This record gives sequence, C-alpha cells and structure tokens, in this order.
Amino acid sequence: MRYGFVIDQTRCIGCHACTVACKEENRVPLGTFRTWVKYVEKGEFPNTRRHFAVLRCNHCDNAPCVTICPTVALYRRPDGIVDFDRDRCIGCKSCMQACPYDALYMDPDTHTAAKCHFCAHRVERGLEPACVIVCPERAILTGDLDDPESEVARVIAREQVAVRKPEQGTRPKLFYVGADQATLAPTLQHVPGATLWGQRADEPVSLAALAGGWQPPRSAAATPKPVEALGRVVYDAPHEPRPWGWRVAAYLWTKSVAAGAALAAAAGALGGASAATGLHVPLVALVFLLLTAGLLIVDLKRPDRFHYLLLRPNPRSWLVLGAWILLAFGAVLGVFVVAAGAGAATVTAVLAGPLVILALGAAGYSAFLFGQAEGRDFWQSPLVLPHLLVSAVTAGAAVALLLTPPSAALRGLLLVGLGLGFLLVLAECYTPHPNTDAGAAARIITEGRLSRLFWGGVVAVGTVIPALLLIPASGAAAALAGLLALVGLYLWEDCWVRAGQAVPLS
Amino acid sequence: MPQPASIEPLHPTAQNLTAPPGGLSSYPPLERWADWEEYDPQAWPRRVDRRYQLVPTICFNCEAACGLLAYVDKDRLTIQKFEGNPEHPGSRGRNCAKGPATLNQVEDPERIRHPLRRVGPRGGGQWERVSWDQALDDIAARVRKALVEGRRNEVMYHVGRPGHELVYHQRIMHAWGIDGHNSHTNVCSASARAGYAFWSGLDRPSPDHANARFILLLSSHLETGHYFNPHAQRIIEGKKRGAKVCAIDTRLSNTASMADWWLSPWPGTEAALLLAMCQLIIAERRYDRDFLRRWVNWAEYLREEHPDKPQTFEAFEAILPTLYAEFTPAFAERESGVPAATIEEVAREAAHAGSALATHVWRNAAAGNLGGWQVARALQLLVVLVGAVATPGGTAPSFYNKAIPAPPLMPPPAKVWSELLYPPEYPLAFFEMSFLLPHLLKEGRGRVDTYFTRVYNPVWTNPDGFSWIEMLTDEAKVGLHACLTPVWSETAWFADYVLPMGHASERHDLMSQETHAARWIGFRQPVLRVVLESQGKRFATTWEAHAAAGLGEVWEEDEFWIELSWRIDPDGALGIRKWFESPYRPGEKLTIDDFYGWMFERSVPGLPEAAAREGLTPLGYMRQRGAFLIEDGVYRTHETALAPAALDGGTVDPATGVITKSGAAVGVEVDGRAYVGFPTPSRKLEFYSKTLRDWKWPEYALPAYIRSHVHWSGMDRQKNEFLLLPTFRLPTLIHTRSGNAKWLYEISHSNPLWLHPKDAARLGVATNDLLKIHTEIGWFVDKVWVTESIRPGIIACSHHLGRWRLSEEQGGERWSTALVRLERPGPGQWRLRYLHGIRPFPSEDPDSQRVFWEDAGVHQNLTFSVQPDPVSGQQCWHQKIRAERPGGDDRYGDVFVDTTKAHEVYRRWLAMARPAPGPGNLRRPLWLPRAYKPDPSTYRMGS
Repeated sequence: MRYGFVIDQTRCIGCHACTVACKEENRVPLGTFRTWVKYVEKGEFPNTRRHFAVLRCNHCDNAPCVTICPTVALYRRPDGIVDFDRDRCIGCKSCMQACPYDALYMDPDTHTAAKCHFCAHRVERGLEPACVIVCPERAILTGDLDDPESEVARVIAREQVAVRKPEQGTRPKLFYVGADQATLAPTLQHVPGATLWGQRADEPVSLAALAGGWQPPRSAAATPKPVEALGRVVYDAPHEPRPWGWRVAAYLWTKSVAAGAALAAAAGALGGASAATGLHVPLVALVFLLLTAGLLIVDLKRPDRFHYLLLRPNPRSWLVLGAWILLAFGAVLGVFVVAAGAGAATVTAVLAGPLVILALGAAGYSAFLFGQAEGRDFWQSPLVLPHLLVSAVTAGAAVALLLTPPSAALRGLLLVGLGLGFLLVLAECYTPHPNTDAGAAARIITEGRLSRLFWGGVVAVGTVIPALLLIPASGAAAALAGLLALVGLYLWEDCWVRAGQAVPLS
Repeated sequence: MPQPASIEPLHPTAQNLTAPPGGLSSYPPLERWADWEEYDPQAWPRRVDRRYQLVPTICFNCEAACGLLAYVDKDRLTIQKFEGNPEHPGSRGRNCAKGPATLNQVEDPERIRHPLRRVGPRGGGQWERVSWDQALDDIAARVRKALVEGRRNEVMYHVGRPGHELVYHQRIMHAWGIDGHNSHTNVCSASARAGYAFWSGLDRPSPDHANARFILLLSSHLETGHYFNPHAQRIIEGKKRGAKVCAIDTRLSNTASMADWWLSPWPGTEAALLLAMCQLIIAERRYDRDFLRRWVNWAEYLREEHPDKPQTFEAFEAILPTLYAEFTPAFAERESGVPAATIEEVAREAAHAGSALATHVWRNAAAGNLGGWQVARALQLLVVLVGAVATPGGTAPSFYNKAIPAPPLMPPPAKVWSELLYPPEYPLAFFEMSFLLPHLLKEGRGRVDTYFTRVYNPVWTNPDGFSWIEMLTDEAKVGLHACLTPVWSETAWFADYVLPMGHASERHDLMSQETHAARWIGFRQPVLRVVLESQGKRFATTWEAHAAAGLGEVWEEDEFWIELSWRIDPDGALGIRKWFESPYRPGEKLTIDDFYGWMFERSVPGLPEAAAREGLTPLGYMRQRGAFLIEDGVYRTHETALAPAALDGGTVDPATGVITKSGAAVGVEVDGRAYVGFPTPSRKLEFYSKTLRDWKWPEYALPAYIRSHVHWSGMDRQKNEFLLLPTFRLPTLIHTRSGNAKWLYEISHSNPLWLHPKDAARLGVATNDLLKIHTEIGWFVDKVWVTESIRPGIIACSHHLGRWRLSEEQGGERWSTALVRLERPGPGQWRLRYLHGIRPFPSEDPDSQRVFWEDAGVHQNLTFSVQPDPVSGQQCWHQKIRAERPGGDDRYGDVFVDTTKAHEVYRRWLAMARPAPGPGNLRRPLWLPRAYKPDPSTYRMGS
C-alpha cells in the first residue's frame, strides 16, 4: 500500500482552492504553505501563456527529510505517507535542507517543522485530503500506487507523467500530468521583483541566470527575452530563504577550532611536549567544544527539546551520530584537560590517541550531515570531508601559534593548512559541478552576491595575508597570521553555508 | 539503497496503522452528517476525536451560490471548517478558494458584532453601540413617517450582493408600496443583459459547457465571474470530452491560458470580430436554416423594413448576406488587431460545433465599452445562426435553468415609479441607474429620506466615489443611511447605522442559478442556529442564536425586514403588516420556518415527494441537504407545447402567429403548432428589435458594431495616451467583500498596472516603478507590472484592490486596507493619500501579527467619471488615460479627483441619451424586463 498523488495540470486552472482548503483544514499560519500554486509565463505577446503547477511534499519513498530528521519527528508510514509529529520536533531545520522540493516550513506557533502530510488524519477516517475534494476540476487525484486498478495507477500507466527532480533519487510519489517543465524546474525560471498581484515576500533569485547561458535584461524596463523553455515566475508562495544562518557557520568554525586545538594538544602530549602546549591549548579546545554545543542548541527552534537528540534518536541521522561523536569527544577532552591540569603526562599520552580519532570525527562528521541535506547540491561535494579536516588542522595550528612559542614547524603547518585549504576552496568553486544547482551556488560565491566577502575576506584577509605574514620568523606576525587564518576560516564557512542555501529549491 | 518500504518505521504512530478498508471517499456519508467524528488536525498524530454536526449552507462570496458544508463542533459550538456540499447540483461538492476562505470571514477578529449608531457628524468616525430594538424602532418610525406622508420614493434599498432577492425582496418593497429597489447591476452587467434581453426577453446566458463542442468565452470563467466554479468545472469537463475553447479577452487571463485560442482584441472591437465570424457563417451558408426559419423574427423584419419584398424566408436569406457584408475578416483585423486568419479559423470552429456552441459574455467587453450591449447581441447572433439556442452543448436563456419558487403572500405591485431609479433619459436601461444617484440628487431630482445599503459599497465600487461621499455626507440629500453589512467598508463609514448581517453560514436565503442545463434550488442557513436548535434550544431570532454561540448580535435580513415591517405598521392600519403574517397562523408574525416551509411544501416541484421518501418535511429535507435538483437536462424550453387549457380563449394573430390571451402574449404558432416561445413581443428570437427602432434607436435595430468611446483611433500614442482596462478580477478575491479573508489576501494584495514591454520602454519604467494615470476627472499613482500578457497600447489594472480606511482602529479590515487621509484642497477637489500600508496588528488571531504584505493596492475607480451607455445604462468602465512618470510630490496610492468636472462629464454623457416617452407615452416598454415591475399604470408618463 503506497498512497500517492497525481496532479493533472491539463485540468488545473490555477485557482488556489487547494491552497486555501489546505490552510483551512490544517490551520496553516499566514506566510507558510503546505501546498501552493506556482504561475509561470512563457513567450511573447500574443504567443504567450501562463502555466500552473501545484507544488507540495512529494511523499518520497526515499525521503531525505526522514533520513536526516534526528528525532523521528518525520517518518514514513507503511502506507507511504510521509508524516510528521510536532511533539517530537526540535526545530533543527535540517529537514528543510534535506528536502529538494521546498516542502517544509517552520510553524511560527509551535516552532516545529510542518508540511503536507496527505491529510493523514482524514485518510485514517477514510477521507481524501482536503485539497483533493475541493478542487473544482478534479485535477488532484489520490490512491494506492500499488493497486494497478486505482485511478492514480492507471493514469500513471497511461499518461505522460513527470516528477520534480528525479535525479535526486528521492522516488517522489507525486506525478504530474501535462506540467510544463518551466514550472517544475527552477533552472528554467526567471523571477521578477513582484508577482502579478502581490509583493514578493523574499528576495527574488533567478536560477536561470545563475545557471548560466542566459542573461537577464540590462534594462529593467524589459521583460527578459524569452529563451526556449525559459519561464517567468509571476506568482509563487513565499518561502523562508535561508533556514540556517550565522549560528551554523559559527558552529562549523568553533568545531574546527575545538578539533584543531585538540589535535594540537594530542600532538603535544604524544611528543612529550605537554609543557609546550600546556593547559591552554586543550582548554581552548574544550571551550570551543562547549561553544559548539551551545550554538547547536541555540540554533534549534525548540532548544528546550535538545535532549530528544539523545532520548528519541534516529540513528540514521548524522545529527544524532554527530551528537554522539561530540559527546564522546567532549568526555575524553574533559578528562584530558583535567589530566593536563594535574600534569599527569601518562594519562594525557594514553588519551592522545582516542582524542585524535574523536577530534577528526568531530571535525569531519559534518560532511556526512551536510551530505544528508539532499536539497543542497553544493554541500554534496566529496571535497567537504577533506576540507573540514584540513580546516581543523589549520585552526589547530593557528591556535597553537597564538598560545605557544611560534616554532618553524607550526608556521609551516599553518602554511600547509592555508595552502591546502585554499586549493580545496578553489576546487569547490571551480572544478566542474555535478549539476546546475551546485554550479550556481559556486558562482554566487565567486561572481555573485558573496564575491566581495569571498575575494576580500576568505582569499585576501584569510589566506594570502596570513601566508605572507608567516614568511618572516616573527612571533607577532605569526600570531597575527594565526588570527587572520581563523577569521578566514569563519568567513569561508559563512560563504559556504549561505551559498548552499541561496539556490531556490522550487 | 535499502528498500524504504522494508524499513521498520521508528515512529510509534506509524507502527500501529491500519489502512481504511474500501479506499478513500470524498465526503462523510449523508446519513452520518448529524454526528460525525474526525481526528483533530492540530493534535495529529495523536488521535484526538472531535464531534461535528455537518450542516449545509451556501457560499456568499460570488453570485454562483455554491454549496458549502459547515463542520460545526458540537461541543465548542464553533465552525471548524467549510467543505463543499456533495448534494449541491451546481457546485457538486467542489469550491474555489473563496469557499473555504469563508472561515476567515466568520472568524475575522475585525468583524462587526453589534449594531452601531453614529455619534457626531456623519462620516466623523464616532460610534456607539445600540440594541437591535433601538435601531429598529428608530428606522421604522422614519420609514412609517415617509409612507404616511406619501413620500414613497424617498425610501430606497440598495443591494450589492443579492442573495435572497428577486420576488422575495419584491414582497417587501411592494408590501411597503414603494418603488425602492436599487442594485449594483448597472456597474456590472447591464449591457450584457440588454444585449441578451433584446434577443430573447431573458437577460442572461446559460451555456451548457459540459456538452459543448466549442466553447467561446468573452469572459474568464476559469477564474472568476458568474458562475465561476460551476462553469469552470463544466468547461474543463467539456474540454476533456473534446471541446475546443476560445477566449476573447484583451489581457491574458488564466482562462485564456487554458484555451486553444486566445484572441486579444483592442477593447471595444469585439462586436466587429464576432460579426465577422457571423458574416463568414452566413456567406458560407453554414447557418442552421431551419432553426432560423422557425425561431427568428425574420418575418417581422421583412414586414417592418422591407414591406415591398416577398415576405418569405428565402427573401430574408437573400438579404442576410448583404447586412454584414462590410464585416470581412480583414476589416475585423483592422479594427481589433486579431489576425484575419484566426478569425476565420474560430468562425469555422463555431460553425463546425453547430448546435453545441456554448458562449458567454457578462461583463468584460460588454461592461467596458460604449455600445457594449451590441457585443452580447453579436455573440448571440453567432449562437442563433448555428442553432445553438437551448440545445445540448448550446447556450440557453438563463431563466430556463433557474427556479424561483413562489413565496407565500405576494403583494400587488406598487403604484409608484421612482425616477431616481429609472430616470426618463434611460427608458431601456438594465436596470436602475444606480451609479448616477449622486448626480441625480445634485440636479435636485429628489431626495432619499431613508437609504438602506446592503452588502454594497458604492463609495469604493462605483465610479466617482467622491461624489458618493459628498452625497452621503449631505443630510439634506440623504436623511438616514442604514448600512446592512457583515464588515466595515468605505461606505459603512458614512452611515448612521451600521447593522451587522451574517456571512454565508449566518443567514437564510433561497438561491437558484443557471449554472448548467438544469434547475435547482440551494438553501443558505445559519448553521450555528441550526445546530443549537437541533440540540433542543429555541430562539426567536437568529441574532439571539448567534449571541448564544458567542458570535455577537449578528443578524440576517429575512428576519430584519419582517421585524421592521411590523414596527412600521404595528397595528396593520397601513396594510403592510398582513404581508408579514404567518400563512399558517393568521395574525401572528411570519417566521423563517413559516416562510421557507411554505415555499418548500408548495412551490418546489418534486421536493415534497423527495422529502416524504426520506421521512422528512420539505423544510427538514432542505435543512439536512441544503439543495434540491428540480429538473436535469433542461433543453429547448421555448419549444414547450402550449397546453390546450392555455390556448383556450386565446387568439392567434394571423400575421405574426403570436398567441394572445387576456391581453398578454402567451405563445406563438410555428409551422402550425403552438409553443410557449420566448418572452419577447414576437415570442421569437428578435434579430430585428422593433423595440429599439420604436424607442429612437433605429440604427441599432439589428445586431451591429458600435465604435467604443475608447476606440484606438482616438488615442495619440505620442502623447502617451492609452486605454485603461480597469475591469478584470482575480481568481482569489471578490470585489469589496473578501478583505476579511486573510488566506485570500495573503495570495493577492496588489493591483499593478499591466504594461507591455514596448510601452514600458517608451515610458522608461520597469516593474515596481510608479506611473501616474490621468483620467478625465483626476489621476492616480500605481506601480507597474511589465508583462507580455497585455496588448501594446493597453494598460490593464484589476479592480479588486485598493481598499482603504480613515481610522487606524476602525472602519476597514486591517488585513486589506491602507490607512489614508482625505483632503479637500479646493471646492470639489479631493485628494486621497496613503498614511501607511497594511501592517501587522494585534488581535485574538495570532496570524494578524504575521501579515507580511504592506501593499493594499490602489483605488482607481475613484478617478473614473460616470459614463452611462445611452441604451443599456451600463457604466462604460474603460478609460482613455494619459500616463506619465510621477513628479516630486507624487506617491504610491495617491488619488486626486475634481467632482465638479465629474458632474460635467455626467452631463455630457446624459446628453447622448434619447429620453422617454416612447410609443404610447410610456416610460419603458412594458414587455422589457425590469426589476420589481411596478403597476402597469405607472409606466405612462405623467401618471
């Protein structure tokens, strides 16, 4: 038994009845939508028309939101419906990053995630979803996809159907009949600064322009010259443009610092140079680890439910696995700090090995977490893991340079870290991207809205200047280099987190 | 990758799940409506049961009268939601966005909950709460005084959205002995009505879209209009069965987007376009010869215009091609801008469809243009030519598909004629010259002592709204203004009483609309009262039930008029009270149950029997199901044979075949058989209108093309002159009544100026830039929306937005109104300026703090002068305007108007009219439809 939708755009008249009926049935707050109708216009007068597409959760068989959700607030039912439980949600917003279809939003009343849930509460009473029964044109069909005699199964078998973003491998259970490609694919959409009957609640991002090969008009007076399948989005529902803000960038950075400092402390312990790294370096690691945890918690929309991560865990979510790693890392680091404080060199030497492994785990696990954010193609790069590890090393070297006498080895290590990091940054931005979304995000960094921050901040201030400062054997210069390197690391995380979310999902 | 289905769900709810047996259904079964359980959607996935009583009612947003099913929570006595009513024959359980948005209107924290009376000057914004008793006594005394003193034309009832109307409200006006019904018709559909009525005596079209082969729309019925949802269902149904669709609309509507052909003519040239199609069908002799011969009044045409020619159909056929010879496709292309080849293609498609040609025009071109009524007439000519009148898939006159059950106690027509409603200059108007009222009063043609407005907002909706404010604030012109409305409006602000009346689920009405080839009735009812009474409680009035349910003292008109009538004539001495007494209990006050129960028992064929089969009273049946299908598959009503009894004592005119009985035409003989025919003087379809000829419009006796007041030849592009098309609607809003629906305003809240890229480039503006639009009497400033969806040379602007209020806290819905200031810079001069747009506001609804839009749109209608069509009386909405980039002090939303100029323009248009009397010294042809026809004796001038 697998419930699915068929939406027949050859019948849909774009009337928004489904939108409003859904809001009524589920009491969806203003500014948020579980289903909405996108309007896209194509062509030039008089050879033009408006196309509609009803967009919503696709109830994917392989739902990334379910995989990433750390507390099983999102779950796939045996009947195929992807449902949610607001009482379990901690408000981490990772589902909004995992979903490639823009289906989720944060409920402003409960501060928990919500989306179309197929009116599961109606289905269990034997009733079709609210959008289905209101539709004047019977353009929305539901039924059991596994039953070949069901209407949905028959339509899918007989008609030309399409799904959104099949390349994401999510196996959507929402099938469109007669939908124009420009309504389903954001890469084919130019977004004007208003809708035909309203304000745009969010900043317009034209993926068509970001994706390259098409230029918006120089003169704002003209509509863009239509190119082949390109469409103009003349109505769209508002979407929260960037679920993750500075706290997430800061979390990545503090985590790099914590891991790097721990690595430095462990190296010191192993090298018998505990006096050199002393208590300061592991203490810095501990402080930054606590900061990391703090940032993670305050970024939750429901910080009061932070403990659900441990008490109601989804073991497939890297948010959960990451929390466990951080917890173990913290425990070992704590003992290490106490031992270092007590001058127990044997203990620190014994702990150094596990500490290295856990520090690398803490530094690197985010690659898998961001990898589970399937909606954000830019974050899917295989370079993320090595990059995070290099960042930790760079941060560790920088911290050590700030807190300990600047040895040539440390200077060299930082230089290597900066160099490798820079190469990885360039690789993430300039190596061929697997798809247009990832390429578009990279272009936002190198040529778009973030280019000044990137070239001025990440490259000049965070990489080139500290590298130059490391050449003279000056303690002050090296310390400054370490400081700037840390600034550069933060700015990159900021660019990377923002760019990843700057590409519209729908 | 693991097989998802095999993964054991981690969530406890998902682990304990049983699929419902037998698949999903759309609605709870009827037998369980009285007691239905559903899971609380907000508690989900915890399974918390809520118990509902499902009570049917009728939507009150547009005029389509779609069914709604209210889910009333039995414990909380609140409405949880509205779904469609599957028992409703028109809407078939389905709704547009405005249906479920009814819940917003009910729950609106801004709504008016108690009667209010003004304190201080009218329009000053000071109000006090009064009881219904106080309001009724005061108003009744005033009306009584006017009636007793013989000032019967000084009481006027002006309705916007009619619900319960037609003969039901006619009862009240005629019982009072007044000619006092005013409506919104002439800012809306007068021209379409005139065009249809001159043909068939019936003033609306009823297309059978579901069975059509070709659907030709001069309308946007896939998104708005009468009757959007029922028609949209059937248009797509027809399309899916293979019908082709053509939309003629200057701007790209959603309907045009879904059509096989989109024709974007220069506005006002539609009749030329349609006549060219007709001409092609005539020239190629693809018309339905037999239908024309039998049912068109060609004989009358020959008799009157060609008495010298043989009086045969063949002779008419010989003349016919010459009548429209000039309307070649090439000519139509020059006029309209639509390619000749496309016109030919569409004409052949219409011919191919034959009797399955479904067409519709209601506002659009008809309402926009001088001579717009000829657009409807030309469209109907096409229908007549292919013989698609009242056929399966064709276009029927409206009343064939409408049911008007007779109410108890119909008073005789009033013996009075109001020249404020029907001034002699407009003897053929459809109907009241409502929007001229301020100018008529300004000319000293009369006075209104007691003025009721009901769900009507002329200050905002009508052209030249500042003249309405001048009228309403002048107590010498309007003695008392009682505004019956569920919500604040620009007009309510200028009332003496604001009387809260119910929304869709808070009132009784009997509805019937020509949604398709059938006849049905729908029953609107106050669902909270129904539930309370089914729980054993009893209420004398609906407002008391509403107060008990916590809604406030919200009433309904049915009871209001009965109560008011009793107080006007408490002892029955005026002869009014007797019409408001129970038909069951003489001398006692008429109740709602009496009124509707009587009609359902006696005036709805088949209903008593259907009710008896279910063991219900007819009223009980309607309360349970909310609708009843009287007859399905209604076709060719004009071919109904006259019953022998009807013929008995009648005479047949040997020349015309018209059958007359007791001085009234009752039918017509065709090919030797007697039929009811059409309610025209000839009882046939009047291709030739003797009426128009006799009433001083001989040049328009046949369907013709009238060049509009906004024809392209009058526009100088070099001076940045444009045609402003200000008449289109949005799928999500409904005029002035949806400002209380947050879910609708969230989707649409701006009415920018649609501008073609070429025009935008010429003016040097881009999307979101401001543009100043000069009309003949003022100007407004709006922002630009550059689009390929409009013809170059045309600027289009939806009339659905631009709501405003004058006080921060009161006088307008804060979901939808901008706060503005009104200034009077000089005599007759008005300026409106935005103080601020829409803002989040505190209320019991947390959503009011989440309003994310600031834009309320721009109120363009203020800057339009009245432009009455001299024949139909329709406000010709399209404007010739000049566009310019705004100057230093101009701001978004600014409006400036000079009402002195507005009156001058009124005088100029008035001069175009050809006044009564017509033949027989009549004010108006006796046969022509008129709302609330008064006694025939009043038709004679000087009577």
